[in-house]
Amino acid sequence: MKLLRFILLFIIAFQANAQISDFKHINFKKADSIALEYKNEGLHNLPELSHKLTSQLNTEVEQFRAIYRWVCNNIANDYNLYLKNKRKRKRFKNDSTKFKTWNNNFRKKLFNRLLKDQRTICTGYAYLVRELAKLADLECEIVQGYGRVSTTDIENLDLPNHSWNAIKLNNKWYLCDPTWASGIPDPETNRFLFNYNDGFFLANPKLFAVNHYPLEAKWWLLDEDIPTFEKFLAAPIIYGKAYKNLELHIAPIQMHHTIKKHETITFKYQLSKTIKSEDISLLIDNGFNNWTTKPKSTSIKKKSLILEHQFKTIGFYDIHLYIGNDLISTYTVKVKS
Amino acid sequence: MKTQLTLTQRQALKTLNFIGIMLFTLVVFNPVYGQTKTNSVSEVSVNERTIKGIVSNEEKVLKDVNVRLKGTRVGTVTNEKGEFTFPKKLKTGDILVFSYLGYENQEIEIKKDTAFIKLVLTEDLIEMIGALDSAKPYKSKRKN
Repeated sequence: MKLLRFILLFIIAFQANAQISDFKHINFKKADSIALEYKNEGLHNLPELSHKLTSQLNTEVEQFRAIYRWVCNNIANDYNLYLKNKRKRKRFKNDSTKFKTWNNNFRKKLFNRLLKDQRTICTGYAYLVRELAKLADLECEIVQGYGRVSTTDIENLDLPNHSWNAIKLNNKWYLCDPTWASGIPDPETNRFLFNYNDGFFLANPKLFAVNHYPLEAKWWLLDEDIPTFEKFLAAPIIYGKAYKNLELHIAPIQMHHTIKKHETITFKYQLSKTIKSEDISLLIDNGFNNWTTKPKSTSIKKKSLILEHQFKTIGFYDIHLYIGNDLISTYTVKVKS
Repeated sequence: MKTQLTLTQRQALKTLNFIGIMLFTLVVFNPVYGQTKTNSVSEVSVNERTIKGIVSNEEKVLKDVNVRLKGTRVGTVTNEKGEFTFPKKLKTGDILVFSYLGYENQEIEIKKDTAFIKLVLTEDLIEMIGALDSAKPYKSKRKN
């Protein structure tokens, strides 16, 4: 019986593992260089573009990789368009006719912008990835839902705000986020900067679930522990760099904590690469000052990372976890006497 | 005598009938063979033909729509008037794939009598949304 349970667990764990590590044996250099080679192709001939990107590659994952990289490298995020759409959607959200008209007109405008300027917002990225994949006979879907980042106003997050992709490779579905992988707006100027983040390519669905909430439950790609919307909103904030460093964000599952002085708060992660304990630091902000410190204890065993921390004085703290210079996640802690 | 004659007549009729059927078969089936042959010849010469067409959406003609012969890289795009002339002669059963960013791809099979394709593409009715990732560290809102 125990053995059976073990086998069952193994099978479940194995299936839940729909991620990049399935393709450890594949080197994406060729696919990436093909994506670079066709940098200046426009979007006027998608069938030809798809053919150029995929015809020299033999595996589905490499073909998809070339498409995904091409989109991430060549399509810019249109921050102003994003803001305008957000504003209008909010304004019209209780007027279904106006909401629909806005969406229809905006869609036309967006496709025009994508075609002419190669600029778009999330759905444009996800759409283009899907179209190019479909033209290469790959099964790909747009996933609509909620994305949550450090600047998301979660108190007013009532309308879906993000799109990403699910892709079927060797009969198994995987997740990726071409928008967030392509780059981020400059924190100062809000101008979009291309800065490819490989962590969003076939990411672990469990890590993905921390800040991606799909409208259709099947796109969690999780067999168990599917978060409710409340739990999703209560989760810690993870940053793009988390996808570069982490395989899983295990604990805590909540962003906000209340503890007593000298009480221990524990953080658990599974790493995707080898790091040293010197690389770990916490940036703590009490609203007046901020300072960098080491966790009270750091334990790294193979790919498992466990941190513990305590506070000596009462207060309200934002805790930012860094691995090297990479900002990974944020939590808040209220320390009582 | 009468009956005998009738018998001979019957026999003769039977033979005639047999010959008749044989002849009939020859006449009927031979041309069928001939027909298929001439048909396959004419399919090459008559059915392989230049296809033209016009592509639009619900409101206006669409320029730069991709038209491609399925399974090949042979294709063209529509001009300012939404018109195209396919560069390769097509035969019955060929499939043309029409694609245009923001519209659903459409496949049109070339039928026996297809010479001109008038196609209206339908928009991909997708809701456009987009949140950006941010590297800005989160900052708690504080009352003070």
